[in-house]
Amino acid sequence: MIYGRMWLVIKPGIGIPMGAVAIMGTSLAVHTCILTHTTWFPAFLQGGVKAQHAAVETGKVAAAPQPPIAVASAK
Amino acid sequence: MTDDPNKVWPTGLTIGEAEEIHSHIVDGTRIYGAISIVAHFLAYIYTPWLH
Repeated sequence: MIYGRMWLVIKPGIGIPMGAVAIMGTSLAVHTCILTHTTWFPAFLQGGVKAQHAAVETGKVAAAPQPPIAVASAK
Repeated sequence: MTDDPNKVWPTGLTIGEAEEIHSHIVDGTRIYGAISIVAHFLAYIYTPWLH
């Protein structure tokens, strides 16, 4: 393998972080674009959407959260 | 490029050391690639991506 010899002229302490940052930057840019240009990716990351849709479709909407007992009974 | 295995190059490495570092980088890249393939497969299944 000839490519290993690149580390004879490129210091690994410089080249490896540069490569890692390039890969991370590219990946982050692509995923950020998907996040900002689609509707399903933010919804997917938000979570719980599938469960809410299933509850609405079956008529089993979750009960509204009840206030704490101390608040409900206070007058 | 000389093939003297004992020559210390400007980065302070010999040919053997450079190729050893490179083998670890290749291994890491393969692991990263495998994890990303699994992640994208799951994304394809569970999201509308590419459907």
